[in-house]
Amino acid sequence: MTVNSQPIISIRNVYKFFGSLSALNDVSLDIFPGEKVVIIGPSGSGKSTLLRSINRLESVDLGAILVDGVDISTPATDINLVRQELGMVFQNFNLFPHKTVLENLTMAPIKLRGMSKSAAQALAIDLLKKVDISDKAASYPNMLSGGQQQRVAIARALAMTPKIMLFDEPTSALDPEMIGEVLDVMVNLAREGMTMACVTHEMGFAREVADRIIFMDKGEILEVGSPDHFFDNPRHPRLQKFMQQIL
Amino acid sequence: MAEEPVRILVSDGAAIADPKDKRIITAWSISITAALLALIGLCVFLPDPFWDLLQFISDGILVTFQVTILSITISIVIGMFTGLGRLSQNRGINLLASTYVEIIRGIPLLVQLFFIYYGMGKFLGVGGIPAAVIAMSFCYGAYMGEVFRAGISAVPKGQTEAARSLGFSDKQTMWMVVMPQAWRTILPPIGNEFIAMLKDTSLVSILAVSDILRRGSEYAGVHFNYFETYALVALVYLIITLLLSKAVSLMEIRLNYYDR
Repeated sequence: MTVNSQPIISIRNVYKFFGSLSALNDVSLDIFPGEKVVIIGPSGSGKSTLLRSINRLESVDLGAILVDGVDISTPATDINLVRQELGMVFQNFNLFPHKTVLENLTMAPIKLRGMSKSAAQALAIDLLKKVDISDKAASYPNMLSGGQQQRVAIARALAMTPKIMLFDEPTSALDPEMIGEVLDVMVNLAREGMTMACVTHEMGFAREVADRIIFMDKGEILEVGSPDHFFDNPRHPRLQKFMQQIL
Repeated sequence: MAEEPVRILVSDGAAIADPKDKRIITAWSISITAALLALIGLCVFLPDPFWDLLQFISDGILVTFQVTILSITISIVIGMFTGLGRLSQNRGINLLASTYVEIIRGIPLLVQLFFIYYGMGKFLGVGGIPAAVIAMSFCYGAYMGEVFRAGISAVPKGQTEAARSLGFSDKQTMWMVVMPQAWRTILPPIGNEFIAMLKDTSLVSILAVSDILRRGSEYAGVHFNYFETYALVALVYLIITLLLSKAVSLMEIRLNYYDR
């Protein structure tokens, strides 16, 4: 990995309002290549909104978001091209139920990258092996457990060889015994040097992989720091209270 | 406890049998057995007039199917665009589609048929079958629009988000992800509309279209046996709709292929 001082994601003074409620209130954040950023905070704190605004699933009302130097908030930007570089994993997996596991992975590379069917399938099989679910290639998503579906969803996002992976509470909809298998995949991905932004409540994961943890509340970033800082001496009273509640 | 308001859903299609009902004696099996026995019995034991009559109206069955299949095909296309229009963020398109639905639903089909055939006749100058197909297509297109709208809305929002986040455009997402899933909810009601339409085509006999009913009337007009004629016509319609409703019910099972 090349050392690069240019952020791959640059969020600059972003505001988002839902009616009179401000979901994002002057949020600024840079994410650098290879970095793993974990975003935590109580529900309604704006952490998912922030993550979803990075690929414009949520549009922001003020401020700018730059992905790889491209301002995604301007109408001139082809957001579809930007999104091809941003992998996203959702809380509810959102696999395409009418497609097999393999087709879920090959669809975007074939249609958007112009990859041949055989090349896309070879790539898909490799990725399914990586997330340890290659035996289910021919199954439909509804035949899989939640943990298996989420691993397929991660592989589907990886099939576009994104520059950064966004995780929106990837384990929140899972039964406890399936959380581990998904986190294992994410930890491996982090070790391979993937740039990651992850909204999660899994503090063990945050401690293990995060370079920086971001604490949000009421649409604002209240504290940024290393995992050690967060676990050993959180400063902001709201963060102290939050850490006590979830640990 | 708060009472949920009861919503009564009535369709004018035939009653579609519950696909999960595995019992042998059902309303459907009783009806189809009785209808087939009656038809065969009448034709074998009273070939005059029944066998004669059945042969006479047989080309009317083809016309009925011809009008129905043509009209349902066009109305599906109209319905798809109407449904998409009703869901459009574009205010103009949205209003256009909604107004079409509003107007069509407020006018009886029989009046629409008269308007297209007799009223517009001097401008369009089309024969009975094209007039019938135009009127039925536009009428059912409005209902189909509602079917499509409901079917598309029923696809979870997460599906669209997943597709868009991969980089698919609005259109690609609609045609590759949303529509294929919407079909599953849309097809059974379309089957239902097909059956309803097949029955409604009996209205076109008024436009000199030689469908089942018209052929029957022609026969009865010559032989003066109205009771026998309309009894047989009713039987033929009943058997066709019963078979079709079974087909729709079987289709519903097949559409659930990707469920566990």
